[in-house]
Amino acid sequence: MMRSHERIEELIAFRSIYGLDPQEQAELEREMASHPPDCEECRRLETEYGEVGGRLAFALDPVPVRQGFADETIELALGEAPGSRRKVGSRLRPLVAVAAALVLFAGGAIVGATVFGGTEVSSQATVLTFEPQDPNLTGTITAAFTPGEPGIYLQGSGLDPLSPNEVYELWLIEGETPAAAVCVRPTEDGSVFAFADTEAVTDALLAVTVEPSSCSDAPTTPPIWVAPITSA
Amino acid sequence: MTADLSDARDRELVQRIRRGDGEAFRGLFGRYAPSAMALARRVVRQPFLAEEIVQEAFLAVWRNPGGYDPQRGSVRAWLMGMVHHRAVDTVRREESQRRRVEESQLSDRVVQPDPAEDVVDEIGLPEERRAVRAALDELPAEQRQVIELMYFDGLSQSKISDQLGLPLGTVKSRTLLGMRRLRGSIGGWPR
Repeated sequence: MMRSHERIEELIAFRSIYGLDPQEQAELEREMASHPPDCEECRRLETEYGEVGGRLAFALDPVPVRQGFADETIELALGEAPGSRRKVGSRLRPLVAVAAALVLFAGGAIVGATVFGGTEVSSQATVLTFEPQDPNLTGTITAAFTPGEPGIYLQGSGLDPLSPNEVYELWLIEGETPAAAVCVRPTEDGSVFAFADTEAVTDALLAVTVEPSSCSDAPTTPPIWVAPITSA
Repeated sequence: MTADLSDARDRELVQRIRRGDGEAFRGLFGRYAPSAMALARRVVRQPFLAEEIVQEAFLAVWRNPGGYDPQRGSVRAWLMGMVHHRAVDTVRREESQRRRVEESQLSDRVVQPDPAEDVVDEIGLPEERRAVRAALDELPAEQRQVIELMYFDGLSQSKISDQLGLPLGTVKSRTLLGMRRLRGSIGGWPR
């Protein structure tokens, strides 16, 4: 069935110039999740409006950078291995150690297809329930994925509200290295639903942190929800 | 044609950065840092914050050059998108900063341009600037106004609505109409 792209176009256009409000961001995520991952029109809209959003910067005259700034930045970069993400900070290390010792507590292979956030996921899907790291946290978070395939569905309900400048961010932590998976804002009733094009590899840890609304390259706060991925 | 060559060269720089080529990073920085700085300073209005934003964006490129997908647009749009994202987020996170704009402009330190900038590789960029400015100039004034407030001032739609005394729906419809026109003029990819 051909789906309409009118609303998606509007939301993508606003997003490309950072004009979405939080409710619209959540709406866009729902709209995108309702289209197939390989939706060509969605991809075209994202690419072309993304191009507009980036290229508008060139309407401005260039500003010379301060003397020494280039060298400082290049030295900083060259001091790191290319392609390296920042290592897990000290706040995360104990958690990774604990998680490695945890057993699978609420997951398992599901028999038969299941509907997840309005999307039907594979009958081979594994569903994990996240463990809150603070007894005062409310709600539940679960993730569904098919082992060996990219793609993690994240679903939550009854979650604590966030300030307008914050989002929940999902991480896949392998060893001590976190990789950003997806950012999502809760709706007014504390629900979240998001899809990450990330493979949930065995022995890694799924973790959720609260991050600035721009999302982060590496966690800036300790995880508040975690779910270890085991081969069980 | 120049744009095509310029894009191809940028993609090659990112490929080399993926292999850990520091000279390629230096090349990308030299080519785009002045444009990135212009955008960051325009949005946050504070030179030291703008420097932080530009530096973060370029370091993000170095740390994760695989984040660039050639199927999803040009290197320059990807890079400037990261700068813009960080700049607007900074502005919105620090609302009080907005109130310090005049003060900060007074204390704006005099920039001593980096001599290295004299040899910045500007291939294709003057043409790019002409194209983008022409695309903006072709918009009806009321569409250009809302897009510029949103993009260059980092204002939310509701703030623009308040500032211009327009219904929110009018702000949205003007923005969308303008963006559709811009998509037609500068949104094409691959070029």
